[in-house]
Amino acid sequence: MKSWNLKNVSLAGAALAALFVHVGPVSAQGLAPGDYKVGFVTENTGAIASAGQSYWNGAQLAAEEVKTQKYLGGASIVLDPKESGSDAARAIQATNQFVADPSLLAISCCILSPVAGSLKPIVTEAKTPLVIFGATAAGLPQLPYVYSMTILPGPKDKATALTIVDAVKPKTAAYILAADNDAFKGRMNATREALEAKGVTTAGVVSVLTKDTDFTAAATQAMGLKADIILVYATQGAAAGAITALKDRGYAKTIVGNDVLSPASIFKKMGDSVVGVPFPVSFSDSIVETPEAKAFVAAYQKKFNAAPDIYSAQGYQVVWFIAQGLKSLSGKPTREALGQALSKVTKIDHQVYGGEAMNNGQAETAGTLVVAWSAEGKIVPWVAPK
Amino acid sequence: MQALADFWRTYQSTVAFAIVNAFFALSTYSVLSAGILSFATVTYAAIGGFVGARLILQTGLDPLILLPAAMAAGALMAYVVALIFLRLESHWMALASLALILIVRVAVINVPSLTGGVNGLSVPVTLPIGVLGILLALAMIVFYRLSVSWYGIAAQAVREDPAVASSLGIAPRRIQTIAFVISGAVGGLGGMLLALVLQFLSPDTYFVNIAFTMIAAVVLGGSYHWIGSIIGAAVFTALPVIAQAFVPHFQEVANGVVLLLIMIFLPRGLVDPRAIRLRRAARNANANANANADADGAPAKVASAAGAAL
Amino acid sequence: MQLFIEQLINGCALGALYALFGLGFGIVFSTLGILNAAHGSYASWAAIAALAAVEQLKLPFLPALVVGVVGGGLLAVVVDQIAFQPLRKRGSGMLGALITSIAFWIILDNLAGTATGQQSLSFPRGSYPGTMFRIGDIPIPAMQLITVAVMLVVTFGLHMLIRRSRFGAAMRAVGWNQTAASLGGVNPRYVVIVTAFIAGATSGLAGVLGGITTHNVSFLLGEGLLLKGFAAVVVGGYDDVRGTAVAGVGLGVLEVMSAQYLSSGLRDGITYALLLTFLLVRPRGLFGSLGFSRP
Repeated sequence: MKSWNLKNVSLAGAALAALFVHVGPVSAQGLAPGDYKVGFVTENTGAIASAGQSYWNGAQLAAEEVKTQKYLGGASIVLDPKESGSDAARAIQATNQFVADPSLLAISCCILSPVAGSLKPIVTEAKTPLVIFGATAAGLPQLPYVYSMTILPGPKDKATALTIVDAVKPKTAAYILAADNDAFKGRMNATREALEAKGVTTAGVVSVLTKDTDFTAAATQAMGLKADIILVYATQGAAAGAITALKDRGYAKTIVGNDVLSPASIFKKMGDSVVGVPFPVSFSDSIVETPEAKAFVAAYQKKFNAAPDIYSAQGYQVVWFIAQGLKSLSGKPTREALGQALSKVTKIDHQVYGGEAMNNGQAETAGTLVVAWSAEGKIVPWVAPK
Repeated sequence: MQALADFWRTYQSTVAFAIVNAFFALSTYSVLSAGILSFATVTYAAIGGFVGARLILQTGLDPLILLPAAMAAGALMAYVVALIFLRLESHWMALASLALILIVRVAVINVPSLTGGVNGLSVPVTLPIGVLGILLALAMIVFYRLSVSWYGIAAQAVREDPAVASSLGIAPRRIQTIAFVISGAVGGLGGMLLALVLQFLSPDTYFVNIAFTMIAAVVLGGSYHWIGSIIGAAVFTALPVIAQAFVPHFQEVANGVVLLLIMIFLPRGLVDPRAIRLRRAARNANANANANADADGAPAKVASAAGAAL
Repeated sequence: MQLFIEQLINGCALGALYALFGLGFGIVFSTLGILNAAHGSYASWAAIAALAAVEQLKLPFLPALVVGVVGGGLLAVVVDQIAFQPLRKRGSGMLGALITSIAFWIILDNLAGTATGQQSLSFPRGSYPGTMFRIGDIPIPAMQLITVAVMLVVTFGLHMLIRRSRFGAAMRAVGWNQTAASLGGVNPRYVVIVTAFIAGATSGLAGVLGGITTHNVSFLLGEGLLLKGFAAVVVGGYDDVRGTAVAGVGLGVLEVMSAQYLSSGLRDGITYALLLTFLLVRPRGLFGSLGFSRP
């Protein structure tokens, strides 16, 4: 990754964004005033609704801010939600309903990659921009109509594991993997290769399934491998379950988690078990740097009486990204024009993660934060055990 | 006119799913009409769907040409299932078909070369909704012809009382095997159509939820007439869309409540041939006090006995 | 060897949950003739009730467990009276009850999702016995011992109730033929309500214990138990609770061992293949008698 380049971009972006926030409405060519409708496929019910609600909250807050800050002058973004329950068939129906609505300019959707994959042909054919808020499969974005505001977690996993290996110096590593999730399989393999290149041999891989609830046996199996470090690549429920089971059985060596551990609900659920477990994160309410991020945390706290998590930040960024595309247009833009405008965005004006850029429709950030939960329930930079 | 066009564009995918679900419901109805409760429709759908998708990707042929292949694959599977499962008593049959769904999902995950495994399979072609409508119309003609054919009457006899049916010279096992093969062909076709409507298949596409929705659609529509399955599937597909408009936060709960109310107050479903016959009988009786209404009354009694049997 | 024994213990504890859950499922199927898809929802709701008792009412472990179990039982009675009683009166049989149970499954699971804020919650540490016993090098968590012990006691109790008590005879009579049972001086409605309560309560017990040991209190809890508990019932044989217990534990051990020594991807496949084999080859299950049939 060309980090110097990204840093420059991020500085420029921050400066630009600061300009917009403080100067207020800038309407060079002038977007026609009025409401611009964005369809939002919500996932507020179903197995992953806890994340789904965060995305939706973040998006609502952003739409509100775009309006109150007069970012688009007299124009504002209005969100039109339709529930999918993370079901592909219902998401398709919702998307078709959105596409059929002539007053609608863009759509946002999807935590699950298969669902996002099945919406791609619809929006491409309808020439309607789709901004993905959660799905992480590589190759989903496709200019000029499909964008992803999800920061891909793969590279961050590798960087995190290497940082930790440098500090802990393990000889052998064991992996707990959600075997029925290909994204995690890829992430584990990339990390594993990097660690093996550094001389950390693999003691074994323990497979779990995403829908499992009992992880005692998997924890026992992983501990039986007697590795110096256990790395967990699994979806939220499985990762939380596996780490808790490891701690329950008295595993005291280093466990490496992944970004799914960052929401506050995880600390509430796992308590002591998750304290000190390092994981990478691109956004956390307790480690924020940019002024927009600070404002976001405060506003979110005020509106929803809870701290925003990474999912809220992603939902929030989706709406700001669409707003940025709209801002570069004038008059009454069409969906196609919006698609063209979004495809020209290379740097994000409204910086929440820090150093955000768009690369072929895919959001990226510079740098990796390696963090852990503190005993008080705050996300803090991770420090190696002495 | 514009409003109508918008309305159509808004709900055309709902109509597409309703048509696909109608095929699943018809498949479930096929075996139910021969007195068997089986969830294996999901299995036929999975086989039809994955075989169809694989053929499309491999041959690049028009999906319409490949539909018979999906039907044949489903029918073949159904024949095998019938050979093995038909010796089970009715309850065990239902349970075994449920176990089959679970096993098929494990199989789908474990043969990625055919099914795409956990990644799923992208199906880059689709069928116009008009074609779906024509296919459903064809299916309706076939089911109508079947219902008035010797097979249809024999199946009804088997459903009502297998012992009596055998004494009439109808071999229940043979009728039920035919019912399975029809169910398999229709289910396989529905599975491939679902693949074309979704344009994406994953291991969860064909899972227990389809089995339960389909059996619910059949019973809700009325399990004593084939048209009930189509109406039930339409109602069941539209329900979430309607609930979304009225009770967005509790739409799933609303689905459950509607299902519950219909089952309690209309236990024989929305389309009930017996009620229609009874009404007709009552009309006849009123119109012509001397006419013998018993002729119409008698089959109703048999049908009600069948209702108690399942 | 040590790993094997540890996994054997894990398998027994997991299987005990399946068995506990399956007991009520099997009783309802064999006596009331209902394939109850909502049986898992009782477990989810019992766990949610017990967790609320711990967090809101600050109750200690045992009273909270009782809250969950009684809650599960009452819920089952309510569902039975709303969803099954009207059909029973009409004599519309198994299919109708299956559909109404699916309706309640949808309703209860969605409400459970709303009640937990769509999160997976867990019992706070310290609200349940968290001691870890050690025999040699082998760690045995207290909750695993409790789960197995509870399962054994409940199985024994239910077996005595069904086979040796007057009430059990009445249950079997109602299962056999409601009209005949009422002619013989049994009040079928009373028997049905008590049976539903027992089923809901055992499901609730599995839910609370499972919610604690797996750190997962959510609407998904019951769904996870449903398929495995169902398998335990089929493999064990419907009309004998001892069969359900043995089969449940067996399935738990098989599941853990196949994940440890074969592959976790095939784990569920092995369980369900065994289920199908039993259905085809020995449909009366391990201990079931031949005489099971319902009209």
